[in-house]
Amino acid sequence: MQLEGRHISFRYPNASGEVFSDLHFRIAGAGFHALFGPSGVGKTTLAKMLTGAIRGFEGEILENGVRRVLYTYNLERLPGWSNVRAHFEEIAPPAGRSRMDELIETFGMEASITARFHRLSLGQQNRANLIRYLLQDFELLIMDESLANVDELTREKIILKVKAMFPDRSFLYISHNVAEVAKFCSQVLVLRSPAKAPQVVSVQGRDHREGAAPDPGMLERAMLEIVHAA
Amino acid sequence: MAGSVGTDWGTSMKRAWILFPILIFLFACGQKENLEEVNYRLKWLYNVSTVGDLYAEAQGYFARHGLRVNVKPGGPERDALKELELGHAQFGVASADQVLRAAAKGAPIVVLAQLFQVNPLNWIYRPDQTLFATPEDLKGKRIGVTFGGNDEAILRALLARYGITEDQVSLFSVRYDYTPFYEGKVDFWPLYLNAQAVIIGEKLEKAGEKYAFMSPDALGVRFVANSVVTTREMLEKRPETVKRFLTALLQGWQDALDPKNEDQAVKVLLAADRETPEAVVRRQLPVTRQLMTTSPASEFGKIDTAAWQQTEEIMRTQKLIPGPVAVETLLAPGNTE
Amino acid sequence: MLHRRIYQFFIIYFLGVGLLLALKYGLSLSDYVIPSPGEIWRTGRTYAGPYLLAVLNTLAVAVLGHIVSICLATMVAILGRLTAWVGSFIRTAAFNIQAYPIVAVAPIIFILLGDGLASRLLIAAMICYFPLLLSFIGVFSEPVREIEHFFESTGRMTWRLQVKIRAFENIQKLTTVIVGSATMAMVGTIVAEFIAATAGIGYSIRIALYQSDLAKILVALFLIGIGTSLYLVSLEWIGNALQARLKRT
Repeated sequence: MQLEGRHISFRYPNASGEVFSDLHFRIAGAGFHALFGPSGVGKTTLAKMLTGAIRGFEGEILENGVRRVLYTYNLERLPGWSNVRAHFEEIAPPAGRSRMDELIETFGMEASITARFHRLSLGQQNRANLIRYLLQDFELLIMDESLANVDELTREKIILKVKAMFPDRSFLYISHNVAEVAKFCSQVLVLRSPAKAPQVVSVQGRDHREGAAPDPGMLERAMLEIVHAA
Repeated sequence: MAGSVGTDWGTSMKRAWILFPILIFLFACGQKENLEEVNYRLKWLYNVSTVGDLYAEAQGYFARHGLRVNVKPGGPERDALKELELGHAQFGVASADQVLRAAAKGAPIVVLAQLFQVNPLNWIYRPDQTLFATPEDLKGKRIGVTFGGNDEAILRALLARYGITEDQVSLFSVRYDYTPFYEGKVDFWPLYLNAQAVIIGEKLEKAGEKYAFMSPDALGVRFVANSVVTTREMLEKRPETVKRFLTALLQGWQDALDPKNEDQAVKVLLAADRETPEAVVRRQLPVTRQLMTTSPASEFGKIDTAAWQQTEEIMRTQKLIPGPVAVETLLAPGNTE
Repeated sequence: MLHRRIYQFFIIYFLGVGLLLALKYGLSLSDYVIPSPGEIWRTGRTYAGPYLLAVLNTLAVAVLGHIVSICLATMVAILGRLTAWVGSFIRTAAFNIQAYPIVAVAPIIFILLGDGLASRLLIAAMICYFPLLLSFIGVFSEPVREIEHFFESTGRMTWRLQVKIRAFENIQKLTTVIVGSATMAMVGTIVAEFIAATAGIGYSIRIALYQSDLAKILVALFLIGIGTSLYLVSLEWIGNALQARLKRT
């Protein structure tokens, strides 16, 4: 799968400045990628362009081998009238069902699965939401702060598991967290303000996987590179 | 006052603010010419039964006696007696049954004069469609009634006298317009012989329909009709006003009903009652004269004590009032016979 | 033991009657103008039966009209979701029409449709319709992005699901406006009856007014208050039961 953006410029109606100015980027291949940048720089805007939610921009986005891009964010909620498991069963396509129990276990949701969504803690809500997205068909899943309320250890566990369970899918992980992004992602797109050119800089992350041995030195270097690029 | 007055403009503005209301006050006083103002609430809308009231006002009888009288029309929502007690009106017109019912409940009412010497209330019906040979024939009929009006009291007395219960007749609530009777929805329609009877009768004649009147009077239910009333307090605290009012009013009525003044009376009435055509009014006046004056010699407005006692007796026996009312205490001295 | 609404009504009613009696004795008004407590009681005993029937009659019409109104408002509000244009048109029309006093149109309706049930039902429905409609349109036109986004992006959204989501999220608001409009339906029906009908408690009150019988009016008001309170209590109970059932884990 490949997604390439060329000469993208965009300004919100009634806004004073441009969000993107002649921006280029390229996401290719399966795995965990990241979109990194300071608050308000336009990460969510770019994500919306990738899903097609925003169309009125200059430039083009070329797709190759991409049938469906899904976007999820941490404020999403499940409908309140059924419990979480009932909802999962309703929205899981036949292909995804086998993975459902595995995901539930990995994400630590066995106890909370029979509850209604509003009774879960924020962290549990984040996880429940992510599970249902993972059960869908997609080539690229954009996760916009989707695990923001989950503790660090569980987050790590989840990311590693997702990479292992879905080796042929692509993910775009939007986050502020330098360490996390440097450690787990393969390609890190650093988005900068429109005053800087190029607006997107691609940095190589460590792409840490389950069972692999961590390399603190390389990790530190990757982190510095990202921070320097921002 | 602190410091200097300021600009000349400020001073003249202050003077203007003081002078202005004084001028208005003087102007208003001048307009009133020192007339005492009172409210007079009639029993129903302006019609021929109120010609004397309107005549007295329009021809200046009240003004000549130092009064400015607001002659206000009545209606189904209005009750002159309640307005008197609450002080919204100083004089009013009510029928005997209304007065007796109020007096039985302790209302401090006094009757000053009696307008109708013969009760004008009848029910009109179509003899071709409605069989009415005996009073019992009222059973099963649709009878129009003005709830709260004297026709309600008279009808109840009539029904009670002939042993007819309310569920044996169908009562239809009457307000202002006669359409339900014209359309045949109601068999018996209440009216005053001198007023609506002329209007409705003429319309039925034009349509080629026969009509007849059911008279409660003829069936033994004799009630006193419209009378002029005031409160005991008025009589005690403002006797001069009452005297002047009554004198002017009775004189006005007498002159209004005088055939010599018919044209003027018609003019006054038409100015207030826009609904009735002149031709009809001219037919209504003679009937009104007949019902309000027993003989040319007698004074207008005399109170017929015997008739009042009879009304009280009927109402008491038919349980329309909870207990006896001492009629004599109600009727103002000096105007009774 | 008695519902709080009934208590509230009793307090207000007896305060009102107390005020009237205070006025009576303070201004020394006769029993003709303001009846004595004894007379009010006696009138109550005589007329409680027929007036109760009249209140039930009116209540039935009001409830039926209210239900018709709710169904109609639901349908129109769901249709109003379709396009922004339709939605805003309906909203503007509703805003403008609701300012018009429906009861002023009541006599015309009675002339056209007669004195019967149809007229009273129509007026009851019309009176509570517009507030219901505006509230429902507001609820059904406003997307609940956090929930709807998933279904939209995975192609699972249907109009039924969308309505269900929006209704569920706003159940509190919907219940409130339904309970509020219930009172309007009752009041409106009574006023319409007062103006032009020949049945119901509004008609009874008009007759009592013509007869200047304040005792009868007080009895009628008492029964109306009880009837309306009971209706509102039932509605709130239904609303709570619904919410509890939906929230049960």
